[in-house]
Amino acid sequence: MLKSRLLRGLAVAVLLIGFCIAGLSRISFDVQILKLLPTHLPQVQGLAIFLKHFALADELMITLETADADAADAAATSLAEHLRAKPELVRRAVERAPWESGGGPIAELLAFALLNQPPEKVTELTAHLSAETIGAALREAAEKLGESIEPRELAMLSYDPLGLTASLDLARFAAAGGQSEFASADGAFRVIYIQTAGRFSSYRDNITWLNAIKAECARWNAKHGVTLGFTGEPAFVADIAGTMQWDMQSSGMVTLLVIAVIFWLCYRRAWPLLALQGMLVVTFAISLACAGLFLRELTVIGVGFASILIGLTVDYGYLVFQKARGHTGTVRELQRECFQNVSLTAGTTASAFFALNLSSLPGLAQLGNLVGIGVIVGATVMLGIFAPIALRLQRQAARPSVMERFFANPRAIAAGGWATLALVAALLAILAVKGPPSLDSSIDSLRPRVSGAYDALGQVYAKLTDNRDLLSLIVIGGSEDEVLGRLRTAEAKIEAARARGEVRTAAVALPLWPDTANQRANLPALAALAAEKPRLREAILAAGFTEEAFGLADAVLTQWAAWRSASVPIWPENDASRWVLRRVAHRSPGKFVALGMVQPVPGQEDALASALTAEGTFLVSWKQLGRELRRVIPQEFGRLIAALGAIILSVLWIAFRSLRDVLLFAATTTLVFFVLLGAMSLLGLTWNLFNLAAILLLLGTGTDYSILVLLAIRRNGGDTAAMHRALGIVIFLCAFSAAAGFGTITWANHIGLATLGETCALGLAIDALISVFLLPVAWRWLHRRDAAPRGDEKAGEPSGPPAL
Amino acid sequence: MLRTVLLLILASSTAFAAPEFDLAPLKKWFGRQNEIRSVTAEFTQTRSLRALRDPVATPGRLWFSVPGSVRWELGSPPKTIALRKGANALIITPGKKRAERHNASAASPSAGGGALAMLRFPLAKDFADFQRQFEVLAITPSGERCRVEVAPRDPQARKFLSRIVIEFNQVNGHLLSFEMVTRDGSKMRQEFSNVRTNVKIPATTFDYDLSGYDVKDAKE
Repeated sequence: MLKSRLLRGLAVAVLLIGFCIAGLSRISFDVQILKLLPTHLPQVQGLAIFLKHFALADELMITLETADADAADAAATSLAEHLRAKPELVRRAVERAPWESGGGPIAELLAFALLNQPPEKVTELTAHLSAETIGAALREAAEKLGESIEPRELAMLSYDPLGLTASLDLARFAAAGGQSEFASADGAFRVIYIQTAGRFSSYRDNITWLNAIKAECARWNAKHGVTLGFTGEPAFVADIAGTMQWDMQSSGMVTLLVIAVIFWLCYRRAWPLLALQGMLVVTFAISLACAGLFLRELTVIGVGFASILIGLTVDYGYLVFQKARGHTGTVRELQRECFQNVSLTAGTTASAFFALNLSSLPGLAQLGNLVGIGVIVGATVMLGIFAPIALRLQRQAARPSVMERFFANPRAIAAGGWATLALVAALLAILAVKGPPSLDSSIDSLRPRVSGAYDALGQVYAKLTDNRDLLSLIVIGGSEDEVLGRLRTAEAKIEAARARGEVRTAAVALPLWPDTANQRANLPALAALAAEKPRLREAILAAGFTEEAFGLADAVLTQWAAWRSASVPIWPENDASRWVLRRVAHRSPGKFVALGMVQPVPGQEDALASALTAEGTFLVSWKQLGRELRRVIPQEFGRLIAALGAIILSVLWIAFRSLRDVLLFAATTTLVFFVLLGAMSLLGLTWNLFNLAAILLLLGTGTDYSILVLLAIRRNGGDTAAMHRALGIVIFLCAFSAAAGFGTITWANHIGLATLGETCALGLAIDALISVFLLPVAWRWLHRRDAAPRGDEKAGEPSGPPAL
Repeated sequence: MLRTVLLLILASSTAFAAPEFDLAPLKKWFGRQNEIRSVTAEFTQTRSLRALRDPVATPGRLWFSVPGSVRWELGSPPKTIALRKGANALIITPGKKRAERHNASAASPSAGGGALAMLRFPLAKDFADFQRQFEVLAITPSGERCRVEVAPRDPQARKFLSRIVIEFNQVNGHLLSFEMVTRDGSKMRQEFSNVRTNVKIPATTFDYDLSGYDVKDAKE
């Protein structure tokens, strides 16, 4: 019999270990903050497309700052050369625009833009360059070179005397530009763009690569002493994923430590403490393995589940241990006795966390699922494994601890009540004076608190160009022509908006997007012109120009000749073209995306976004996302909180069958909420997209304390002292363990997660204090005229042992 | 003053900072600016561009009067006229009956300031301001002449200009020539003649009848 039980236990243990190994090995982190947000919102959809195709996951930006422009220029060149010499790390290092080294590299893009024009413009160009007119045209160009005082005209005529670029609307190309993406206005701040040698298979690869690049830069900088910064997608991934791992490990470990200290203070028992900690680790491992198997990628919010789960699950352990202390029956009897309380509290807690799935915030939904699953696993572990251990260990009696003596002392309880009353009054007064915390609808809560990549990006915004007020026009489609049609529609709408005074400037990707019909119509004419290259060269030289003046035309004509038999649509392919297009166009089989910019007149962002948003067209920005979330999220949480509140009140009505008790619960919960608002005002905290969920979690978790207190008072026939003896220490342990669990994520690097942690920790502590010290007094006052408290199987036996 | 005006014409500004050069001739030259109330001059602008096989020489005239009136003509008859009166500036192309209105106070002294930069005045408040804006590459006195080679400190200007060469007469303070060398090796040199200072210039010199002209506001 014993052998068979041992074998069964061993088999279960092996299965669990295998399950944990399989699940844990599949865990990875998803650092995309948009994964935390409602995917049905157009802003989220548009930004997701932007990040996927234009965030440039393989491009690191190295910022470099020196005392003056010459030193910065020399340092940028030197560092780029140093990194180019490491082909195992770097595919390309670009420290200046490709066209700064001459017009050659950009000729292909120019040839493409001319090919893309309406056919009538190409007809004009070919007429302008015909044998009959070219002589006069070149004479005029030479004359202008002698007279013009416009530097731009001088430059254009010097390198394009044929006037190839004259038909292009260069303003459309330059509308979004103005500031170099390589150097600040004073030249002392430079940016080098580094492309990785290969693709990253995981965030760990990314971190390793970035560390190698940083080491190379440090080696180079030992001789140069410039200020370096690292930003761009690889730097963000390394920063965020690295801190996620640390956040989860550190908060989980510290929660375990805090729980150990609290348990020791209350019971001073080493073996039960070790057993309880073991159970928590088992619960955490099984839950995380579930996450690995079913979710695979943890978001920055999901990593907070470790400490929250430990803080909540330990409650069931405390309850089982406390119950076991006076238990004289069998293990099964102990399990049966604990089942009602554990299942009720675990059920409500898991329900509250699962209810986060009703939110459209996927990050919170993931957190809810992780904690919900973990709570059920934890309750099962505590009842199934910890109960027998607790009972066995309990048989070695121990003297009451400090906390037990505190909750058995009516004077101490009264003092606690007065202190809680003073605290509540003070926080309500602060709320009355300072007002409730404001709602921060910005997307700051989505970002990490400490990030070198964010700091360096801030420098880029400050020194180069700050495009945070610009709206990105993203157009997506299944073919070039579909995107082209949508771009034209968007451009027409932008022009209409400009006429209404809603747009300052705009740059649509149209000039750089292949127009199949135009290309098909223009290619024969331009290829024929390319065949006349010798005639054009002779005409240029005859007009007094040098060979150098023919360089650009030569390259453009050669390109048209090369495209003579290419199939349309034609895309420019060389390095310089790819460099320009990387932030304008993306193409992959069956998917084409174009990116443009719109600078709105301040205050017109919503009108513009609503006017332009259509199928496959999005007008987005991070600020606009914040505005959309401000509209959606508070309403959504309002609905969720109302629904959960109604469910809880209904359940309590069924359980209590007492309007007074239900109202007392509602009043307690309301008071907790107002006191929490006061505490937040005192600490200068604000509501944001994530800590709004704290209200939901407090409804599901914090209310357990008042429910347990009301149940215990009723079971003890209105004897609140008995309730304190039986439940005080348990609620103290539960509340402070849960608060510790949430509290430890207040140092998480993700601001949203940290604020969720601090708001929940505060709320739980306040809920516990009010439930333990003020709720019983209110209950006695409400029932002062009752002859005998009702609804209590132990009524009339107040002197008996206290019931949980 | 004439020196400043001509520096403006060349869309740049100068300063002299290198301690290894004897800056005395330059300081003295600057010191005479306050004595000048007006200037008229003729010049020949020679453009030696890499795109053109032969240099292009064009005559021109200049008028300047305090506090900030400038007329600059290139060509004879003028093909391009730049006018400034206070904060208003015009770039006129008589041959095409076209004119562009500019806000002169928005002009930048750098090459990025475009055509309008030539009308910015004063380019530098004083010698110290000049030093802040320019780096002296060489000073070569030779008899009455003094040749000064400078480079702009402004990174935007440095993208286009590699150096500016100024020649002036140390005795009478007149500017003799002004040469701008661009990054691609092209040169634009202006040689001044018939320079007269503190002569009376009719106020109408700085006006222009734009009847029949297509006048547009410039995109700043």
